Amino acid sequence: MLKVFSWRKLVFRFDWTLVLGTLVVVFLGLVNLWGSVKDQQYLLFARQLSWVGLGLVLFFVIASIDYRIIARYAYVLYGGGALLLVAVLLAGKMVAGARRWFDLGPSHFQPSEIMKVVVILALGKYLNDTPVLEGRTLRHLAMPVVIVGVPFLLIAAQPDLGTAMMVALIFLSVMITARLRVKTMLGLAALALLAAAPIWEYVLHDYQRSRVLAFINPALDPATAWQPRQAMNAVGSGRFIGKGFLEGNQIRLRNLPALWTDFPFAVWAEEWGFLGCLVMLGAYTFLIMRALRVASEARDRFGAAVCVGAAAIMFWQVTVNIGMVTGVLPVVGVTLPLVSYGGSSILTVLVSLGLVMNVSVRRYAY
Amino acid sequence: MEIAGQNAELPEIRRRTRLFALLVLLVFGGLAARLFYLQVLEGDAFYRVTADSVIRTEVLPAVRGELRDRRGRVLATTRPSYNVQVVPSRLEEVTYRQLLGYLADHDEELPDWETFRERVAERLDRPFVLATDVSRETMSQLETSLESRGVSVMTEARRHYPHGPLAAHTLGYLNEVSAEEVRTLKEEGYRPGDLVGRTGIEKQWEPYLRGRKGFRKYVVPRRGVDPADIRIEDLVEGPTQVDSVPGEHLVLTIDLDVQKLVERALAAQRAAAAVVVEVDTGRILAMVSRPGFDPNVMSGRLSAEAAGRLFNDPFRPLRDRTLSDTFNPGSTFKVISALTALEDGILTTEDRTKCNRFVQVGRRRFHCTKAHSVVNLMQAVLQSCNVYFYELGMHPGIMDRLARHATEFGLGVPSGLGINGEQAGFVPSEQWHREREAALNAQAVGPQGFMIGHALNTAIGEGATRVTPTQMALVYAAIAKDGTLWLPQIIERIESADGKVLEEFPPRVRRQLTVRPETLALLRKALVGVVNDPKGTAYRARSPRVLVAGKTGTAQVGTSRGRAGELPPLYARLDHAWFAGFAPADAPKIAFAVLVEHGGHGGDVAAPVASQIAERYMDLVAEREHAETAASDPKPSLVGRAGPSAKVP
Repeated sequence: MLKVFSWRKLVFRFDWTLVLGTLVVVFLGLVNLWGSVKDQQYLLFARQLSWVGLGLVLFFVIASIDYRIIARYAYVLYGGGALLLVAVLLAGKMVAGARRWFDLGPSHFQPSEIMKVVVILALGKYLNDTPVLEGRTLRHLAMPVVIVGVPFLLIAAQPDLGTAMMVALIFLSVMITARLRVKTMLGLAALALLAAAPIWEYVLHDYQRSRVLAFINPALDPATAWQPRQAMNAVGSGRFIGKGFLEGNQIRLRNLPALWTDFPFAVWAEEWGFLGCLVMLGAYTFLIMRALRVASEARDRFGAAVCVGAAAIMFWQVTVNIGMVTGVLPVVGVTLPLVSYGGSSILTVLVSLGLVMNVSVRRYAY
Repeated sequence: MEIAGQNAELPEIRRRTRLFALLVLLVFGGLAARLFYLQVLEGDAFYRVTADSVIRTEVLPAVRGELRDRRGRVLATTRPSYNVQVVPSRLEEVTYRQLLGYLADHDEELPDWETFRERVAERLDRPFVLATDVSRETMSQLETSLESRGVSVMTEARRHYPHGPLAAHTLGYLNEVSAEEVRTLKEEGYRPGDLVGRTGIEKQWEPYLRGRKGFRKYVVPRRGVDPADIRIEDLVEGPTQVDSVPGEHLVLTIDLDVQKLVERALAAQRAAAAVVVEVDTGRILAMVSRPGFDPNVMSGRLSAEAAGRLFNDPFRPLRDRTLSDTFNPGSTFKVISALTALEDGILTTEDRTKCNRFVQVGRRRFHCTKAHSVVNLMQAVLQSCNVYFYELGMHPGIMDRLARHATEFGLGVPSGLGINGEQAGFVPSEQWHREREAALNAQAVGPQGFMIGHALNTAIGEGATRVTPTQMALVYAAIAKDGTLWLPQIIERIESADGKVLEEFPPRVRRQLTVRPETLALLRKALVGVVNDPKGTAYRARSPRVLVAGKTGTAQVGTSRGRAGELPPLYARLDHAWFAGFAPADAPKIAFAVLVEHGGHGGDVAAPVASQIAERYMDLVAEREHAETAASDPKPSLVGRAGPSAKVP
């Protein structure tokens, strides 16, 4: 029998450090967005504020529904998410050659973002229902690969290589903590290597290949290498304490495309310097560690998988986003959690943190 | 949820989660190290490259190519123009009033202070061009007294037509691209404020004339940054400087002197057109459409009043009558009718008709200008006897024969000059009349199908036939040139800005007409008679110095047509006067068509103009030959002969 908490118990067991960590990152993101849209589009800021508001409400709502109830509907949610991905391919809004969004009048909705959480739920449900004491082999991976493969292919077809790659990394993170045998892990790595060549040849678009090549050798395509170089200039010029709030114009003056979505960290680094970067990186580290801590204390496989997944969403997105801004990874259009502009991205991260909170609240429940 | 059996997994999950945490710490540590390297170790270097510097882009405008006449004389060029620009937010009322004082003599209407503030209310920080093309004196006065108070003088390139209204329709004019056009032409490099050809050659040859703009990006360093530390290449995507490419020059076939003499010959007419073609090449030497306009005014900032005057003028000065309007050819068409009769074996030169001033067809009388008595074909052309051609018009199938020959002469299709929306004109056929009847009957308008009267009217150049003066000049050039119909040409060659010939356009034959030489010889003889035989309709316009050949035409004007109501009533009722021909008749050099709108009789009004053109043209040729002879064979002067170094052979 499932026990539904009383509100008093819920508040009493609330993980306030997680809430505080979340609010700190959200606050840093809003401060940064305000600096980025200065003189330009306050409407963007207002929209972001409303997404944050909605996200926080969802955070608390999701935290209060027992996650075991959510687990029951994991496959239904997965089916719904997959259908949305098909629908967006057929009827989504075409922006810059990609069909990733549903046009909701004043705003857009990107189903692939939400799919990250849904994939975690479905994986958690599957792992939970099929405990393997002696460790998982490649044979045990068949179903999880199907679970992640369908959304991966649908997202890659949009094309949105960044998000597809994120889904794959989240999957790997969850699976690594799921008692994969070492031999199986090596097998997976070999498979990934084998798949690399055909993916490079047939899946990647020209612009994606040129980004990777420009990353390896900027002289090959100065136009493509220009964006990351500008971002790096901005980061470096922030020096130790930064140029100050609203004083960093390096990025804004150059009118980089996707400034609010892909390069907000460059703005942050320019205005707040190395110290500011450490603060932001520290806040992320705290949130991720907190999620992993909850995962290790979870009372069941589902709860652990969901928390590891939520931590993986943040970890990989932060790594890839900051990596590309600092010139250590190629530009692939991945958002910075809770900082980048965009409703779908904000909601995804807050929903996943709501799930972590849910598991955290119930870790002593049974 | 069933949890039994899986708790055994949890310790292993905890262990692996800790490993994942370790990975997070390692990766984030790596990122922090990278940030430390960029921001702390290399921070100063990055700061120097970027330190609050502002990148400015200076557009390097392209100089528009010139239009020149065939002897290289400039017909359209570019000159600097001084515009007064103000920044409204920095401009005080007292300065503005002072500025108005300085610009008191300026042509443009300038708003008072209140109107000005209203106009700029929403863009106070953006520079506003208040007056264009101010004089040098005004410019220097402003620069010395008002420059520091929000007023500046900007230099811009302005299109200049040194001969004012001369050949205005043919050359065309420019004006600014609209906001809508900027959106559609952005790819081609047009930006707000750019000029674009609107009519004439300026429009048609825009891609050649405009050149390509360039740009230069530069850094304005601030806060004491040493410019030597800044590499513009680090801040800018792509090239930092691209030089502008000047437009190409177009050398026209127009001869400035001929153009001037034709303009003078037409100066007394209120609405008229004339086209002069070189018989040996089909090149256009002059094209005049009256009334005209000054493209310098059209290319500037046109005041509402001036625009109103131009657009509402019932004589339509912006309309190019040489190409964009079509008219009944009147009797100038009779050469085609005569040619049809001879070529198709319908009549011989011996066939005669008695002209009693009209022919009766059914209940309708078709009139002639007078009773010509008995006339043969030669006399009929010479005296422009309608009755003779009415008789021709009664032959079965004549409509289609006329249409075939007229089309072969290039009527009913655009001549190919391609400027100013050149009209094709129209050549009717029996089939067309029948189809028109069907269409009109469908609208219950009444029977209008092909009737014999249509053929009669067509044979004398009335009815549905429509031509442009350019087409008629080419028809007569073909008659003069033994049946060679040229593709008319107005661009002779394209030259680069540094004078290199990029492309030359040799004369091109459109077709060799399938007319027997004897027919053309006979027609030419008749056309000489029109002007030089005492019975000829243009006899009064004959020239004692040049043997002119041609045909008069008096095209009837429908009373209910078009703008008749706007024109002076007496004027509007007059017929259009035509004369088309060539000169000198014995060795033709030029062919021409002159049309005087509502001028009356062709022989009285258009023929004297044509004769004058022919005379002055031959004078010009003689002058030039004389000058060339003098230049190539200079006679030794007395001084030269007496000079110490002079050697007399």
